[in-house]
Amino acid sequence: MSGKYKTPMLDELEKGPWPSFVTEIKKAAKKSDMAEDELGQLEKSYNTKRGYWKHGGIVGVLGYGGGVIGRYSSLPEEFPGVAHFHTVRVNQPSGFFYTTKALREICDIWDKYGSGLTNLHGSTGDLVLLGTKTENLEAVFAELSSRGWDLGGSGSAMRTPSCCVGMARCEWANIDTMDLCNELTQYYQDQLHRPAFPYKFKIKISGCACDCVAAIARADLSIIGTWKDSIQINQDEVRKYAEAGLDIQKEIVDMCPTQCMYYNPEDKTLKIADAECNRCMHCIAKMTKALRPGKEKGATLLVGSKAPIVVGSLLSWVIVPFMKLTPPYDDLKELIDKMIEWWDDNAKPRERIGELIEAKGMRAFLEAIGVPPMPQQVKEPRKDPFFFWAESDFKK
Amino acid sequence: MEQAELQEKIYEFMQKMKGKKKLKEKDIIKHISGETGEDKDVVKKALRAMIDEGRLMYSYGGGASSVEIPSEEYLREKGLIK
Repeated sequence: MSGKYKTPMLDELEKGPWPSFVTEIKKAAKKSDMAEDELGQLEKSYNTKRGYWKHGGIVGVLGYGGGVIGRYSSLPEEFPGVAHFHTVRVNQPSGFFYTTKALREICDIWDKYGSGLTNLHGSTGDLVLLGTKTENLEAVFAELSSRGWDLGGSGSAMRTPSCCVGMARCEWANIDTMDLCNELTQYYQDQLHRPAFPYKFKIKISGCACDCVAAIARADLSIIGTWKDSIQINQDEVRKYAEAGLDIQKEIVDMCPTQCMYYNPEDKTLKIADAECNRCMHCIAKMTKALRPGKEKGATLLVGSKAPIVVGSLLSWVIVPFMKLTPPYDDLKELIDKMIEWWDDNAKPRERIGELIEAKGMRAFLEAIGVPPMPQQVKEPRKDPFFFWAESDFKK
Repeated sequence: MEQAELQEKIYEFMQKMKGKKKLKEKDIIKHISGETGEDKDVVKKALRAMIDEGRLMYSYGGGASSVEIPSEEYLREKGLIK
């Protein structure tokens, strides 16, 4: 670093036991004017308690409507290195697996055309490259695509689908999240690169209810692996947990959200009323050797979560309690197409699908996608009726 | 209708709407299909070709994406004019 800027405020963020983003920007600033001016502008922001970024605008690569997010400094004369500081989203591989060679390749491209700063990964799931100039965009894209990379989604489009590590690394994966993620990414290429929706649409896939990609909180369509039959119990292992000191009554049974478990301390056995179980994974995650998901595997589809941008935040809502998912996933694709069509036909600009369901009602949504009302769809049992019957539903 | 003729219709519409309303792809397809009687997929194909050659472009503002006639600055940046 040339020491162009004194950064006493940012220096505070280097103290303490954790890795610091300030340290990383300082490292990048040794080689990059962009990173150096980023540091200067950020220090100014901390001093004045104001942000100096302008968002949006018309930047992108020819033919694509997404993948580049325009960022401009509102102080370009003071910080010329960040006059343009656009973000490039690169479509990540399923499950976020990379070879070191692939990562070096990305880093070399970004050192050449950008600030050298990256963000692995953005909340959408993309590999995020921070800070480049408008005139470099086509060159970055050409270099990335010549090596088999593609841009991710942004704007009013299908956003890059993302998934947990699934069967590649996790014994609890009830579905092949990585295959499904790749399949949906390929299927929705057009919608991903050419924004034609009322607003963003995110798909996230988790192999089980531990939900490592937080699909239930962040995706318009959350696909979460589950099972239909009974949890597999190994009573010998249950006994070993008890003998090793695990308080099964307190840690497992009393914390079960549906209270569907019974533990007998006399013979150290565990019983589960599977009909009452909501497949939350708590007991399985706590007693990994004793309990396993059932054998009839598939996924629950939930719709509508979002962060609080236009109106408040929402969590996804169960729409299909159980769906078998086998390649090429035609049933699932057909259902997603119907959801998107209804949303596209009815939503106002910048209205997410969850907001539209709240506005139009679950009945309209379920009718449009051809899914019958089911008890599992009731979000708040005994509080509100969610499905309003029409006159035509009654036989006279 | 020939694709070139259809593209002229699309361009005329875009010029008419410039500065008045942000148009999504779907708004354009719906309007032109209604006006010309051409199938929506045919209009979509013509529109996409215009975007690919830089005659129209995707834009982003206020959180939503739209389609616009590109500025000279954009065309210059993409090397489509000098």
